[in-house]
Amino acid sequence: MRLVSRAVQSLLVVFVAASLAFVLLQAAPGDAYSDLGDASSMTPELRAQLRAQEGLDQPLAVQYRLFLRGIVRGDFGYSLSQNQFVSDVFRSRVPNSLLLMSLALLGSVVLGSALGAWQGARAGSRADRATVFTTLLLYSIPEFWLASVLLLVFVSTLHLLPSSGMITVETYDALSSTGQLVDRLRHLVLPWLSLTLVGTAIFARFQRASMQEAMREPFVRTARAKGLSERHVRRQAWRTALLPVVTLTGLFFPTLLTGAVFVERVYSWPGIGSALVQGIFDRDQRLVAACVVAGSALTALGSLLADVARVVVDPRLRAK
Amino acid sequence: MPASVAQPNGSTTNMTRNAGALLVALALTACGGGTDTRTEGTGDGTGGTMIVVSTSEPGTLFPPRAISAQEQAVVASVFDRLAEIGPDLNTIGDSGFSKRLASDWSWAPDSLSIAFTINPTARWHDGAPVRAEDVRYSFHVYTAEAVGSSARSLLGNIDSVSVRDSLTAVVWFKRRTPQQFMDATYSMFILPSHLLASIPDSALVTSPFARTPVGTGRFRFSKWEKGSRLEIVADTTNARGRAKLDRVIWSYVPDFGAATVKLFAGEADLLERIRPEIVSQIATNPQLRLETNRPLQYGFVGFNVLARRDAIGAGARPHPVLGDTRVRRAFTMAVNRSRVVRAALDSMGLVNLAPAPRVLIPDTAALTPLPFDVAQARALLDSAGWVDSNGDGMRERNGTPLSVELLVPSVSPARVRLSVLLQAALKEIGADIKLNTLDPKALMPMIGSGDFDAWMGGWDANPGLQGLRQTWIGKGSSNYQHYVSAVFDAEVDSAFNAFTSASRTAHFTKAFQQAIEDAPAIWLYEERLPVAIHTRIKIAPFRADGWYVNLADWSVDPARPIDRDRKPAGDAR
Repeated sequence: MRLVSRAVQSLLVVFVAASLAFVLLQAAPGDAYSDLGDASSMTPELRAQLRAQEGLDQPLAVQYRLFLRGIVRGDFGYSLSQNQFVSDVFRSRVPNSLLLMSLALLGSVVLGSALGAWQGARAGSRADRATVFTTLLLYSIPEFWLASVLLLVFVSTLHLLPSSGMITVETYDALSSTGQLVDRLRHLVLPWLSLTLVGTAIFARFQRASMQEAMREPFVRTARAKGLSERHVRRQAWRTALLPVVTLTGLFFPTLLTGAVFVERVYSWPGIGSALVQGIFDRDQRLVAACVVAGSALTALGSLLADVARVVVDPRLRAK
Repeated sequence: MPASVAQPNGSTTNMTRNAGALLVALALTACGGGTDTRTEGTGDGTGGTMIVVSTSEPGTLFPPRAISAQEQAVVASVFDRLAEIGPDLNTIGDSGFSKRLASDWSWAPDSLSIAFTINPTARWHDGAPVRAEDVRYSFHVYTAEAVGSSARSLLGNIDSVSVRDSLTAVVWFKRRTPQQFMDATYSMFILPSHLLASIPDSALVTSPFARTPVGTGRFRFSKWEKGSRLEIVADTTNARGRAKLDRVIWSYVPDFGAATVKLFAGEADLLERIRPEIVSQIATNPQLRLETNRPLQYGFVGFNVLARRDAIGAGARPHPVLGDTRVRRAFTMAVNRSRVVRAALDSMGLVNLAPAPRVLIPDTAALTPLPFDVAQARALLDSAGWVDSNGDGMRERNGTPLSVELLVPSVSPARVRLSVLLQAALKEIGADIKLNTLDPKALMPMIGSGDFDAWMGGWDANPGLQGLRQTWIGKGSSNYQHYVSAVFDAEVDSAFNAFTSASRTAHFTKAFQQAIEDAPAIWLYEERLPVAIHTRIKIAPFRADGWYVNLADWSVDPARPIDRDRKPAGDAR
């Protein structure tokens, strides 16, 4: 019953987010045809004609009704910034974003929880203070800035990695399958690192606090009194301390999504984030709305999964 | 997409193991090459790959809707016109035009029609022969309301296109004009009717053809991965000879900084729209050179001569400040345009003279710009009643300050820099310029509705200057400044109807001089927009309407191929 209630809440969140996206895009001055460059042949009459063809001259209520109908049917129409149907844009770009985001999430969870547990078990030590400072620094850095710095270091200065895209455009097709995989991995390193470093810092901070708390629990004292090795004691404490991390993993989607938008742009990663930025610049209402709906659905789903996961891993919640 | 790489695992232990393995793989690949060199000779002068890095991606490759330079660059390489304008951009008659899809043409005795003979060996990239019907169909598409082509307004003098036989298309004109040959050729790429005629006009723009075009050019379309790259390859069986380069790849990098990193890292061969701040860096890079490119663009500060939101017509009120010619002239004369343009654009700019780029002004020496004369500017404002009555350094008239809002498009670094310099220059004569920097999507509706004082504007001209009819003629629909001058309108009209170069020059000179005297704008700047290019690439001369026009004649220096030039162009045929 609780899950059903959460699912209904999630649908409501998606609806509100989509409506807000519609209102904000309408409130923003201009539309897709307001500015089409400096071509003198792009006359006001032609702009008006194109607007009419796309239904942008319809009353707001009509546009909103069509917009909601599109969401319900899952048909967001034609993207004016990408010149493709929105479904095609999603089909070609979402897998690229998911690849990047899922690997970044994996890296963040694994590295962050390992680092945080290590810190929490040694709270107050010099090594703990040094790593806490580093994670705080990473935590404070916006992803796009970090991405730019990594670009300068690893591409401009060290010439170790490719600068942008998912593949080396001129050679990819001529490579063997192994070569193609290696090429893709090389292109993945910097975008992945930009997202993962920040994600690691976030998870580490949560895990450290949780681990510190767990290490003060009575069961830890009991385990030590029973003569268990410190390694085993920490492992026991870590299991308990993982609970907040499970919750955070579900709630991490919005942060990851926001980071991916900027990182994709800096590295020209052909994901949905970079298409969203272009859509906002171009006032591409349909694409932006679809991205907002997908993003809010993903966030709501993450939250829902976090709830489920907490129930699964915490016997106390199951008992209630 | 190697999906197997991206499978998160629920087990913490396994997650740790997978992440470790992944990191090791990433570290190894970061230092690895991943190259798989297969060589191919370039001894016959053909071959090689050029990578163009661009911050903008085409929206469409459907020629009637291709507007941006990025769209035009691909479209002009994949498609052909009937005939191509000459390097001097002459638009009177057919002088200077060279054959493309048309192997010949003949004028009717009354000059009201031109019969184009299609080259019988011309083929579409799918192998189908080019036919006269394609010309008739192309005209239909370009002028169809449902298609919404911006070229439609330029084809207004063409009455119809008929098919005399399978290889002869006759273009019929409404009236005889000096530019009618250009009307029939320059504004229209020929489209394949055998592929498109079955598609409704309203669906053409969204059809797959708009993303995977089939043309007749010396390059043919190969692939387009949205958000990543677009590739064209040499059409090796082309009737006019294959393109010299095997491949041209556009790599799309939206961030300018990242695009320059790509260029300097050797991952790209060409970057257009260079900014002044990286010119010195390019000059010191032995692998790169700058090629001068003077596009048909000009920039100005447009003054709204009518009160905000008023339109030309009965009852229109003059703008309280800019409706007075003396004020507009004073503003122009207060600006040392050479210095301002130099300061903002360094060696990449030059002063604009009139409502046209210098390349298209027939006789620049005959024009007399308003001089830079601050004393005269102050005197003009005094005579218009704008005086500093309270000694604060700013002028007023009847208690109203001499204040103007200047709208600046945020996406143009050049215009943003210029606007700051203009603000400082006009403050010297007691005018308060309030800068309002806006996204173009927000700016253009304000300009279009007349709800502005002044704006940092710019126009892309075309060789025939037909755009003047829209932009500066009194009834022009894009005459946002509401500039009305009977003399200017008449002289421009006469220039468009002049059949000799001398007469055309004389009329344009009078028209432009009138625009200078009336000062509906500060004619401010033209950008040189050099192109940064790898030194091994040998280029054909740039034409002012696009650096890419003769791309099929570009080649790689056979003595200096690099690794990517040796990669076989798998799709070339």
